[in-house]
Amino acid sequence: MIKVNEISVRRGDVLVLQNFSALVPEVGATLLSGPNGSGKTTLIHAIAGSLPLESGSVEISDRNISTVSAGDLAQLRSVAPQRRIFTLSFSVAEILSFVPTSQRNEHWQATIESLGLNELMQKKVTELSVGQQQRVSVALALIQDSHFYLLDEPLSAQDSEFQLRILSAIKIIATKKGVLVVSHNTDSLHSQFDQELRLN
Amino acid sequence: MKRKPLYAALALLTAALFILSLQTGILHLHSSVFSLLGKGNSVDATTVWDVRFPRALGALVIGAALGIAGALAQGIFRNPLAEPTLIGLTSGATFGTILGIATGVAGYGSAWNCVAATIGTGAAATITQFLAPNKNFGFLLTGIAFSSILTSVSGMIISISGKPGIQSLSFWNFGSLSLINFSTVLVITPFIAVGTALAFALSRGLNVWSLGENSAFYLGVNIRRFRFLAIIAIALLIGPAVSAVGSIAFLGLLVPHLVRLLVGPDHRHLLGLSALLGALVLLISDLLARAAFQPHELPLGLLTSLLGAPILIILLRARRAQWVSE
Repeated sequence: MIKVNEISVRRGDVLVLQNFSALVPEVGATLLSGPNGSGKTTLIHAIAGSLPLESGSVEISDRNISTVSAGDLAQLRSVAPQRRIFTLSFSVAEILSFVPTSQRNEHWQATIESLGLNELMQKKVTELSVGQQQRVSVALALIQDSHFYLLDEPLSAQDSEFQLRILSAIKIIATKKGVLVVSHNTDSLHSQFDQELRLN
Repeated sequence: MKRKPLYAALALLTAALFILSLQTGILHLHSSVFSLLGKGNSVDATTVWDVRFPRALGALVIGAALGIAGALAQGIFRNPLAEPTLIGLTSGATFGTILGIATGVAGYGSAWNCVAATIGTGAAATITQFLAPNKNFGFLLTGIAFSSILTSVSGMIISISGKPGIQSLSFWNFGSLSLINFSTVLVITPFIAVGTALAFALSRGLNVWSLGENSAFYLGVNIRRFRFLAIIAIALLIGPAVSAVGSIAFLGLLVPHLVRLLVGPDHRHLLGLSALLGALVLLISDLLARAAFQPHELPLGLLTSLLGAPILIILLRARRAQWVSE
């Protein structure tokens, strides 16, 4: 379970989340929805530990994330941020190798396959299209072995075929793990998720 | 390009250049360097073993240090143009060195002088990072500005200090291996060895780091500790090198970019190959500095600038090729 307990988070001068609480179940796919500026990305950062909390706490699998080392935190949650900027011309295979085989979950090969990355393995990541780069970024999070998966807009740059393929990869992982997916394109996606967490 | 042949080719070339450095100089040897092995008394032998050998050894160690430091700086600041001279690290080292000499705390070529230079480098890296408004050109321009401040203050200290061994501003700004001897090489090498070991320990993390600090954190990297260790490594590589031979510009830019062009960005190989190529480039530069206009010796940093600055211009114009800007 992810327990978000009365957190307040500031970005710049704006208090984006104020005394916000939520629960994300241990297993299943949760859609995190809400209008632009409602704090979806901020909440992902807060749960991931990459933004300081002004007050409140976040617990993942009963551990307060502010007391967990970076290494242990990587086993509690895996994150695909909204934008990952690939600055060096690594091949896709090299990028995926940043998660060593010993730290991957049982579905990693199937995930890479369904995200269409086998054909791109030897390509330089800097030469890929935005959509292809997004799939590499999402795969990097999904192949990791961790309790929870936090995916910020993983479908935004995809055509409908790859939206479905990414969703099917997410569903397979969500049979045993908790996956939290940010999207503002909720109408068409709603039926694909086990539950929805809505920010206003 | 395959990595192994490149390691071998660079190692062979470096060895060849090393021997050529022993052979070449104002004094024309009567026989080959090899026939002088183990012979200590003739003028030829003294010239080779007491003057040219430590100098070539110094070029080897310092070239390797600057090559690794350049790769490390570009990696940790995630900026393709983060060359140690450009972003003020070298000025920090010079400032630390000069302050050490002028205050009488640490004489030229002493271990304490290496410590002062190492602290100066680390402080400059930290301050530049703290002052910079962003990670791209803001960071570079802040580095350049801060570097100018340090150079000015260093120049003032030199002008008013009467301490022996403080050298001239031109020595520090343009670099020279002419003062290097065995004891200097012995003093700086342990610092550089520790810096090198630390850099190699960080090499896998530097690959992950290239995805950005948050991404590295998500994959289990402790951001603060990692950045701190990287800056320590850079300081241990640059500080002692600069304290012995002054500022050798652009080597840290030229070398890693060439290596990346040849074998790709993987830091596990980038660091080792940058060490070899750095040593090779510095040996060549020093040889040119000594031999091009005999009996005059050119300042070393002028040559490396002449080689490296055009590369900077090319990179500025075509930087998408190997390194996409954030």
